[in-house]
Amino acid sequence: MSATHTLHPDEKVKAGKIGGQMAKIGIPLGLVLIVVAYLLGPKDNGARIFQYGYLTAWLFVWSIAVGCLFFVLIHHLSRARWSTVVRRIAENVALTFPLLGLLGLGFILPMLAGNHNLFYWDYFKAQPHEWQHLDHHMVGKGGWLDPNVFAIRYVIYMLIYSGLAWWFAKQSRAQDESGDAKLSERMRIAAGPGTLVFALTTVFAGFDLGMSLSPKWYSTIYSVNIYGGAMIGAYAFLAILTRSIQKTGRLTHSVTTEHYHDLGKLLFGFIFFWAYTAFSQFMLIWYANIPEEIVFYKYRMFTDWTNWSIAVLLGQWLIPYVLLMSRWTKRVLPVFMILAVWCLVFHWVDLYWNVMPNATWGVTHGRVTGPLSGPLETHHVQAVWQSIVIWLGMTAVFVGFVGTRMKGNLVPVKDPMLGPSLGFENY
Amino acid sequence: MASNEDDKTTEADEALKGEAKAAPADASDADHDEDAEVETSGGSADHDDAGDDAGDDEGGDESADDDHGGHDDDDHGASAQGELYGVLAEFDTPGGLVKAARKVKDAGYTEFDCYSPFPVHGIDDAMGIKRTVLPIVVFCGGFAGTVGGAFLQWWMNAYNWPWNVSGKPAWSIPANVPIAFETTILAAVLTTFFGMWIFNKLPQVWHPLFRLDRFTKVTDDGFMLGIEARDRRFDLDRTTELLKKAGATEVEPAFLDPDPAAKVMPRWLWGVIIATTVMALIPFALIFKARASKSSQPHWHIFGDMDFQPRAKSDSAFDEFPDGRANRGEIAGTVATCSSGSSLPCDDDRYVKSDTAFYQGIEAGQWITGLPRQIDVSEALVARGKQRFEIYCTPCHGYDGQGAGIVSERVKKLGGAWPARNLVDAKAGVVTMPNGQLFNTISNGFNTMQGYASQIPVDDRWAIVMYVRALERSQNATLDDVPADRRGELR
Repeated sequence: MSATHTLHPDEKVKAGKIGGQMAKIGIPLGLVLIVVAYLLGPKDNGARIFQYGYLTAWLFVWSIAVGCLFFVLIHHLSRARWSTVVRRIAENVALTFPLLGLLGLGFILPMLAGNHNLFYWDYFKAQPHEWQHLDHHMVGKGGWLDPNVFAIRYVIYMLIYSGLAWWFAKQSRAQDESGDAKLSERMRIAAGPGTLVFALTTVFAGFDLGMSLSPKWYSTIYSVNIYGGAMIGAYAFLAILTRSIQKTGRLTHSVTTEHYHDLGKLLFGFIFFWAYTAFSQFMLIWYANIPEEIVFYKYRMFTDWTNWSIAVLLGQWLIPYVLLMSRWTKRVLPVFMILAVWCLVFHWVDLYWNVMPNATWGVTHGRVTGPLSGPLETHHVQAVWQSIVIWLGMTAVFVGFVGTRMKGNLVPVKDPMLGPSLGFENY
Repeated sequence: MASNEDDKTTEADEALKGEAKAAPADASDADHDEDAEVETSGGSADHDDAGDDAGDDEGGDESADDDHGGHDDDDHGASAQGELYGVLAEFDTPGGLVKAARKVKDAGYTEFDCYSPFPVHGIDDAMGIKRTVLPIVVFCGGFAGTVGGAFLQWWMNAYNWPWNVSGKPAWSIPANVPIAFETTILAAVLTTFFGMWIFNKLPQVWHPLFRLDRFTKVTDDGFMLGIEARDRRFDLDRTTELLKKAGATEVEPAFLDPDPAAKVMPRWLWGVIIATTVMALIPFALIFKARASKSSQPHWHIFGDMDFQPRAKSDSAFDEFPDGRANRGEIAGTVATCSSGSSLPCDDDRYVKSDTAFYQGIEAGQWITGLPRQIDVSEALVARGKQRFEIYCTPCHGYDGQGAGIVSERVKKLGGAWPARNLVDAKAGVVTMPNGQLFNTISNGFNTMQGYASQIPVDDRWAIVMYVRALERSQNATLDDVPADRRGELR
């Protein structure tokens, strides 16, 4: 029954020191790992593989923050009850956007400073005028895919994300003091337009940061698929983070198996959402077999990347989908935690598979050859270990960033929906 | 609710008699004079599930009917009452219903059910209902849908009626995923829907509770709990009291319909079921009729705008353009991305096609008789040509090139004549045609044959030329063409 409960008298809802500890360990450790990966990794083509690995890792943490921001928005938009106890944690994750924006300068600044080895369109723009005229397809996109314009858009995306996260967190924290139910209503009203702004921002950010790596290729569902992956990452990360916080003795009474069960249900749902969009993209391109579109899959299916493609299919969809179908895998927490970690790992594999095959391009035989072109046998998976170390490092930094935001209460203690959320049960 | 086993049939007869008498009197809320009698009856009456038995009991027990006669003036009106089915209690709120359900369960009752206008959270637990096995059944149904959908497509497309569409494989997993996905959902949804009805033993339009006016509220604002008389612990007064204590605003007994015919589906419902089934079969009947009969009428065009599209075919007249042609030429100002005239590095001629021998089969105004320099004759090239030939050319020219492909054979069978050119007959002209002209025919067509330039890449067209030459040679071979040391193998 939707019995309204109150916070358990012994419940520790204050974040206390854990935020500081996360930041103190995570940020230095992560930065060291990233620097080590750079120093030990290949440096050819202006350390391009490092840059691609960095971008992949950044997209990973960005997508988790994006997913958590959406979690907050949809909570208010749908007037959810059950998720109230984990909403503050999601708010804290989303609050890392300004810091993630700074972290992203790691690939924006080199581009502005004249390193043209990340985005092919950036490299192309730097070529002599006559060369450019050989490729009308690229020249036509030159106004949009320009380093300065790109950097400005990047800043706008990050400002929008940060603004949304900050505004909702501010209202939520103000409610901790006042307990004013009108704040809930205000957030609910703002969540509608907020979701629209969020959706448009994510679509453009996905196009810019992911799809523009192979600027001649396009797929209108690309960002939807990236968003689906982001939600997988966010639910898995939220479950693991919440469980970790509980291990420190906090929130032990508030967050129950029921809440993990619901996180698991949404994780399960978004795994299929991701697979649905990924297959939609694949199916249409595969069937039409048009040269400029098919390259995306041609260079992922018939090169060194074949096994990665299979890994994405099985690891990001089939295996977790089947395993999360049952009720008990979501309710037996050790099992659910293993599955959540699995989903996080394969979310990275998916992003790596999206980003990295675009890294093979350059000048051959006096001609500029873009990404996803040239002989199949020239496309190799390069220095995976480096990308993995960067990813681990970036994740550590991200956890540290989340720690810096973890202050005050870990649940919205005076939210009118807290009672129903505490007493929430799955039937 | 799941029915309890018939584990207490022993006292049934006596109990029936006693209760049948007691019930109507009690129902009128007149008094409790007959309490003693009800209690001595053992408090339990088992009504068999089968309608026939219930009917027999009724028929054999005249006293029950007599009783009804005597009580006709009560509030319960003129309708005759059968034996006691149970009691129905009404509650004000869903919360009250849940609390009451828990109390009833704790009191040891098993044969009861709750009724509400919407799903009430927690009611399963309060009633002590086990988790349903429906999800597992639905999973099996959905999986059967996946396998069935995939099998259906494999059987139709790859086994029963394989059809060569431009050399595409008859069976390919990605192309079959959407249908298998849909059949999965369809099968899972149908299993859910019908499984829910079957597990709940629905429909029961004859359910005794429908005979109570109060029960109609259950689809609007009534929260009800019914306890059946066949429950081991059932006792009209005590049960009523329990329910009242549990917060029931009203408690009312319910009786079976004395007419055994009432325990069947009403006739109109059968009518609806039969009518909808017959209507669902009409499309299939029409399809079978169409398959089994001949007609001189044109096709039905269900999607007219798909069958007759407002577009102009290539090389047709089109008045909207000033030159009266549907074809549009190259757009002015178009620049090839790589041109041989440019001083910039460029290693192919794909865009400007200045090499006329390769792209048109013409050199210095003449059809070339040899091959363009880009083509190296090899077994792999001829094999490629054979494969392409069998995709694009065999429908009309046949596998042996003699012009007996399935299209021309079909026309012949229908009584017409539309022969394709015999490519290998020395008298038909193709054998003596220069390579360049043959290439040009493949590219741009000849008579009613359409050009294939848009479908077959240049390299493949030359490969087909090579294969046609090989076909001609093999079809016109003499003994001299066979290597001397292997002539003995010929008979």
